[in-house]
Amino acid sequence: MTAETPFTIAISDSELELLQRKLELTGLPDELEDAGWDYGVPLADVRRLVDHWKGSYDWRKAEAELNAELPQFTRDIEVDEHGTLNVHYVHKKSDASGAIPLLFVHGCKCRALEEICNKLTLVTGPGSFIEVRKILPMLTAPPEDTQAFHVVAVGLPGYGFSEAPHKKGFGPIQMAEVGHKLMLALGYDQYVAQGGDWGSIITRIIAAKYGPTHVKAWHTNMIIPGPPHPIRDPLRFLRFMVTPLSNAERRGMARGLEFRKIGMGYLMEQATKPQTIGYSLADSPVGLLSWIYEKLVAWTDNYPWTDDEVLTWVSIYWFSRAGPTSAGRLYYENRVSTKELEKYNVRVHTGFSYFPQELFRAPKALTRNLGKVVQDTEHEKGGHFAAWEVPELLVGDLRKMFGKGGPAHGVVQAKM
Amino acid sequence: MTAETPFTIAIPDSELELLQRKLELTRLPDELEDAGWDYGVPLADVRRLVDHWKSNYDWRKAEAELNAELPQFTRDIEVDGHDTLNVHYVHKKSDASGAIPLLFVHGCKWPGSFIEVRKILPMLTSPPEDTQAFHVVAVGLPGYGFSEAPHKKGFGPAQMAEVGHKLMLSLGYDQYVTQGGDWGALITRIIAARYGPTHAKAWHTNVVFLRPPHPIWNFLRFLQYMVTPLSQAERRGMARSLEFQETGRGYYMEQSTKPQTIGYSLADSPAGLLAWVYEKLVTWTDSYPWTDDEVLTWVSIYWFSRAGPTSAGRLYYENRVSMEELVKYNVRVHTGFSYFPKELIRAPKAWSRDAGKIVQEVEHEKGGHFAAWEVPELLVGDLRKMFGKGGPAHGVVEAKI
Repeated sequence: MTAETPFTIAISDSELELLQRKLELTGLPDELEDAGWDYGVPLADVRRLVDHWKGSYDWRKAEAELNAELPQFTRDIEVDEHGTLNVHYVHKKSDASGAIPLLFVHGCKCRALEEICNKLTLVTGPGSFIEVRKILPMLTAPPEDTQAFHVVAVGLPGYGFSEAPHKKGFGPIQMAEVGHKLMLALGYDQYVAQGGDWGSIITRIIAAKYGPTHVKAWHTNMIIPGPPHPIRDPLRFLRFMVTPLSNAERRGMARGLEFRKIGMGYLMEQATKPQTIGYSLADSPVGLLSWIYEKLVAWTDNYPWTDDEVLTWVSIYWFSRAGPTSAGRLYYENRVSTKELEKYNVRVHTGFSYFPQELFRAPKALTRNLGKVVQDTEHEKGGHFAAWEVPELLVGDLRKMFGKGGPAHGVVQAKM
Repeated sequence: MTAETPFTIAIPDSELELLQRKLELTRLPDELEDAGWDYGVPLADVRRLVDHWKSNYDWRKAEAELNAELPQFTRDIEVDGHDTLNVHYVHKKSDASGAIPLLFVHGCKWPGSFIEVRKILPMLTSPPEDTQAFHVVAVGLPGYGFSEAPHKKGFGPAQMAEVGHKLMLSLGYDQYVTQGGDWGALITRIIAARYGPTHAKAWHTNVVFLRPPHPIWNFLRFLQYMVTPLSQAERRGMARSLEFQETGRGYYMEQSTKPQTIGYSLADSPAGLLAWVYEKLVTWTDSYPWTDDEVLTWVSIYWFSRAGPTSAGRLYYENRVSMEELVKYNVRVHTGFSYFPKELIRAPKAWSRDAGKIVQEVEHEKGGHFAAWEVPELLVGDLRKMFGKGGPAHGVVEAKI
C-alpha cells in the first residue's frame, strides 16, 4: 500500500461556479396552506437555505476551517474482489500517555427493527467524515488524567472524498474490510471501534471479524439487535416477552414505529432504485438540500442547526468526489438478511449509549447478547447524530469505558 | 359555474428558455459497472434523453399536435371544503347515434396525465359503423397537467371524484359511465359508489384492486378462494405484484409520506424528473417501444404543468391518510374489469365475486399499466363490448344525443 498522503479539501472554482449557476436557476414548488412539516420540508426553510447558499454562505471559509481542524489523508486500500480504492480519512494522534487507537465510522446507514420479530430493514443517514469534528479534540487532547485516543475517522468509499466503488456488491462487509485494513496500514495492530448509524453495522462486523485479535472493543450509539427467534432462541424470546419495558424504551419504540410509518420513504427509494433518485440528487442542489435537511431536523433532539452548519453538511455531499449518488447505493447493497448479520457475533468488550431521539429503540432485553456488554448508558438528551449534537456525552461514555477503572481499560496495550 | 372556456396549451418562451438553461447545466452521476436496470434507470438512457431534450426535441411541435388532436377547455369547479378550482379537461362529442357519455380518469399516479386519452379518443368518438360510440370527457385532475392545484390539505381521491362528477353534470351529462386506470381506478370507483346508480351508471377499470374475502365474515367465499387453483395468468400477475411491492414502490413510499421533500428535486431538476418518470414508463409497460419524443412529451407535460410536478405527488399522501374511509365505497352499478398482464397488481378472479355487479371480465395477452397508451385497441374493444348492442351494460345510459 502507498504511504500516507496528506489531503486538503480544495474544490475547484468551476465546481463552485456550476453550483452557483444552478442555485440561481432554482425552481421551487408551491406548498399547501398550513402544511407545516406534514408533507416534508417546509418551503420557507428551503427558500431561506437556498438564498443563503446562493448569497452569503462562504464555502471557501468552511473549507479552510475543515482543513485547519481535521488532519486529512488519502491512501489506497485493496478490497477483495473490488480492486484498489483511494480512501480519504482523518487521522490525529494524541500526545497524551496511554492513548489508544480508535476507529470512528461515521453514519451513513444502519439497520432498524422493522417490527419486533420481523426482518430488519436498513436505514441510512446523511453523515460523513465531518461528524468527527467536535469529538476529535476531546478524544485526542483530553484534560489531565483522562483517557486519550489516537483517532482515525475513515471516509467510507463513495462518501465525502473517498473514491466510490465501481462494481456491484460493495456492501457493509467490504466497508468493514476497508476500515480494518486502514488501521493496520497505519500501524495500529490493536484498536477499538466506535460507530453510529451505518457505522454501527460496520463496526459490529469489524469487531466480529477482526476481534479479538485486532479489534479489542466495540462501542455504538445505534443498537440494533436481531429479534429473538421464538424457537431458536427461546430463553431470550421469553425474557423479552416478560420483561416490562422502561419508559425510555417505550418512548423509543414508539418513535421507531413512527419512523417506519412515515420516515422511511427515502430509504425505500434508495434501497431499490438508488440510481433513479441519484439523478435528482446529483443535478439539483435544492433537491439534495431538502433530502438531507429533512433528516437533520427530524432525527435530532432539537439541535439548533445554523444555516451555515446545514449548508456545510450538504455541500460536502454536493462536492463529494463521487457525487451524492454513490452514497445512496449502499442502501441497495445492504439488503442483507437478518440471518447473515447474525453470523457476526461480537465477542469483545462492548459498550452501548442510548440517546432518546435515536430513530428507534431496542429494549435492553434484546440487546444483552449482542456482544460482551460491559457498559450501558442511558441519556436524557441527544438523537441520531450524537457525536454532533451531544459530543461531550458520547465522549464521556468512551472515556468511562476505556479510562482507568473503566470496564474496558487496558484492552489495548497502549504503546504510544 | 362558468361556461366552457376553450384552452390551448401555450407554454411561454421564458419557460422553455429556463428548461434549456437547466438542461445545459445538467450534472449526471456515475454508474456501477454492469448495473443494467438493477439500481434504477441506466445512465446511457438518461444521457441520451437529456441530450435529445436539449437539442432536437421540439416542444412547440408536440404542443401544436396536442392542441390539434385534443379539444381542451377549462372550467371552475367548486369542491366542498376546498374553494373553487380551475379544471382543465378534454371534451369531444361523438356524431354517431347512440353515443353515451364517458368520463375517462387517467393515471395520476406517476406519470399519467390527460395525454393518456390521446389514442383512444378518436376510436371512442368516431368508431366504425354499428359500433358503440362515446362522448368523451377526460378530466385533468387538480394538481396535474393544466388544472389548478389544490391549496388546502386533504384533497384526496374523494375530492377528485367530486370534481369528475361535477364536471360531467356541468357539461349536461346527467347520466354517464366511467373508465379509470391507475389512480383513476380508485377515483372512478368512488364516483360509481357515491354517484351511482343515479348518475354514474357503470364503471370500467383496468386496475383491479380487490381484497381477499374475509375468512370470517365471508367464510364460504374465502373457502372457495382457498381451494380454487390459480390460472397461469393469475399466478404470473401475482408474482409481478409481489415484485412491485418489494422493489418498485420506493417512489410511492417517498411520495406518500414526504411529497414536498421529493418535490423540491422534481421541480428543480429536469434530468431528475425525467429519470423519476421514465423508470415507470419502462418498467410498467409491456415492452412498449417508447420513442424518445414520446417520453419527452410525457415528461414535458409534467415539467410545464400549471402547478409544477410537486403537487402531483401529494395525492399519494392524501390517499394514505384517508385509507380507512375508502373501504366504505361499495359499487352497485354494472362493472367491467380488463386484466392486462403487465399491470402492477393482480388479484385472483376469485376475489372479484363479491366486489359488485361484475358484468364483464376480459383477460388480455398483452399490455401493461398504461393500457390506453400501449394497447388502445384492446381497451376500446372492451368498452365497445361492454356498452355496445348486445353487451352486458348496453342501454344503462339513455342515449339522448
